Amino acid sequence: MISFGTSSTRSEINSGMEVSRSAMIRGVPASPGIAIGKAHVLELEDLQVKEKQLEQKDLEREVDRFKTALGTARNEIETLRDTIEEELGRDQAKVFDAHLMILDDVVAIDKTTSLIREERKNAAFAYRKTLSEIADELDLAKDEHFRNSAADVRDVKRRVIRHLLDQPRKGLGTIAGQVILVAHDLTPSEAVSLSKETILGFATDSGGRTSHSAIMARSRGIPAVVGLKSVTARVVSGDTVVVDGNRGLVDVNPSEQALQEYGRRRQQFLDFEGRLLDMRELAAVTTDGHRIELSANIELPEEVELALAKGAGGVGLYRTEFFYMRSTKLPGEEEQYEAYKRVADKCYPYPVIIRTVDVGGDKFASYLGTARENNPFLGWRGIRFSLERTEIFKIQLRAIFRAAATGNVKLMFPMVSSLDELRQANTICKEVKDELRQRNVHFGENCEVGIMAETPASVMIADSLAREADFFSIGTNDLIQYTLAVDRGNEKIAYLYDPLHPAILKSIRTLVEAGHRNDIWVGVCGEMCGERVGAVILLGLGLDEFSTSPYLLPEIKTVVRSISYAEAKEIADKALCLSTAAEIRGFVEEKIAGKFPQIPSP
Amino acid sequence: MLEKTVTITSDPGVHLRAAAIFVKEASRFKSDVWVMKDDIEVNGKSILGLVSLVAERGSSLRIRVKGEDEAQALETLIDLVRNKFYEE
Repeated sequence: MISFGTSSTRSEINSGMEVSRSAMIRGVPASPGIAIGKAHVLELEDLQVKEKQLEQKDLEREVDRFKTALGTARNEIETLRDTIEEELGRDQAKVFDAHLMILDDVVAIDKTTSLIREERKNAAFAYRKTLSEIADELDLAKDEHFRNSAADVRDVKRRVIRHLLDQPRKGLGTIAGQVILVAHDLTPSEAVSLSKETILGFATDSGGRTSHSAIMARSRGIPAVVGLKSVTARVVSGDTVVVDGNRGLVDVNPSEQALQEYGRRRQQFLDFEGRLLDMRELAAVTTDGHRIELSANIELPEEVELALAKGAGGVGLYRTEFFYMRSTKLPGEEEQYEAYKRVADKCYPYPVIIRTVDVGGDKFASYLGTARENNPFLGWRGIRFSLERTEIFKIQLRAIFRAAATGNVKLMFPMVSSLDELRQANTICKEVKDELRQRNVHFGENCEVGIMAETPASVMIADSLAREADFFSIGTNDLIQYTLAVDRGNEKIAYLYDPLHPAILKSIRTLVEAGHRNDIWVGVCGEMCGERVGAVILLGLGLDEFSTSPYLLPEIKTVVRSISYAEAKEIADKALCLSTAAEIRGFVEEKIAGKFPQIPSP
Repeated sequence: MLEKTVTITSDPGVHLRAAAIFVKEASRFKSDVWVMKDDIEVNGKSILGLVSLVAERGSSLRIRVKGEDEAQALETLIDLVRNKFYEE
């Protein structure tokens, strides 16, 4: 889950006169690292297009200028498309094919040329008028996809107008020195031209972890925070801005003292990154020889390289929603198979745990028939969806079992709340395997099938589930939300969301004990194991595997390698005797104080 | 001239990507292609015209084709919409 920033309107900001414009804004961490610098705010529409009345004799020359501008824009877009295709693959490059078609649009060209020839307008004005009308109309559409198309139309419009005005691309191309880029959003073409040389970091109002600019930032190692909602309203060019891509925070005009602290943390982060290479090959083993699996959560197949570079011993949670959410059509078996196989091959011999699709909740796609519900987290999601839409479920299972022929793939079901669900799902797995066998298709016979333990019900019936599942992976994010009855997205009560609540620790202990009694392994995937206090307790509770964001792995590996299992067990046992989350946190923090001097403080 | 009405069953409808696919197909034919939604008719070979219809799932489009290869063009385009633009 993602927490969005507090929003405040432009008028609120402006009415504050010159109160010190400092602000701490929370958004979505899109790319790790800390960047400190002067802000460069990218204006939404910074091209001044004047309406001119041309002389009759100049009209044909103006039409030629227009056609030349289209040609120059075409060359640029083709270059961008090829760059993206090489860097991120064909799918991400498709948007530029649409840009080329907008450029070639016969109606837009006819309309612009007739505005020039018949009304004697200048080309920049004529083209802007033609495309703006369409973009403005798309802004009003209810569906997000149509509204996104408006940004594409404007991107093309600006590109052509820039050439007509002979104004070199403002924005990214002409940024001098090194800056923190602040923008409402980055167009696909702006995202491509992000360069580490000039852009220290960036912060945008819109966007999420899987938006184009976030993917690009990660691939180029530029710290970024997106989804900040109001950052452009709160920052002016020249402000000192800190982008903390590790925590998803943007600090505007921080105090001198805070700035020094950020500088120190930035250096620590860089040093730490530098030491990663040494850590990468080391196992996650305690000082007294207890070993756990340390793996990464990933969303996109491309993230597997990053995970391995950060020292992951496999993928502990491969979320597959992306396939279903990014497109408007069901992902096919081949497409899924290829992606799963790619991840499995890259990770081999380390394990890859693929979670079957968990749509519903806050992730829904109307083409699947899922819809906004009054109570989405208690609604039609996870395994409930898959058991009803078995045709969709089977396609995914076939793809997973086929990929499992590599021998290192496991699969798990999300949101299981009863033994019936596990049995039904296992029956469907068996049917799918029988079909594959009949068709003589090569697949992984011995693919382990486990469950995400994330509902309070699964804790209560852990023993019976453990008898029929091959493993448990505890999804702490949802387990906390359901057990504590706290919607983390609700800012009013978000403070109640506490992984160290005794109810959570007891639930986890119940799951571990039930699992081990039945000879299955128990892992944890969720943010709880990515934080040092949580990690020490989970280690002491006897979890066999931790899976978390790739960026947190080095830190957690350091924690595991700096403590003994005996010590962690003792800490966990005592923590479980305490009665409040605050007491537990205080106790554990005291116990581990000074233990991990090499880790940058949070 | 031939024409036919078709209901959009794909989601989210004829957005930029689907429009691009439609225009690519339409442009393969010599015939003129027109697409009408409600009372607005646009050139079927114009990506901007098509997206500006904001033809969401459930809306109906009337496709009108005129020219030497009109029969084949109409059939191809109707198939395309019915098959949800063959989006992979």
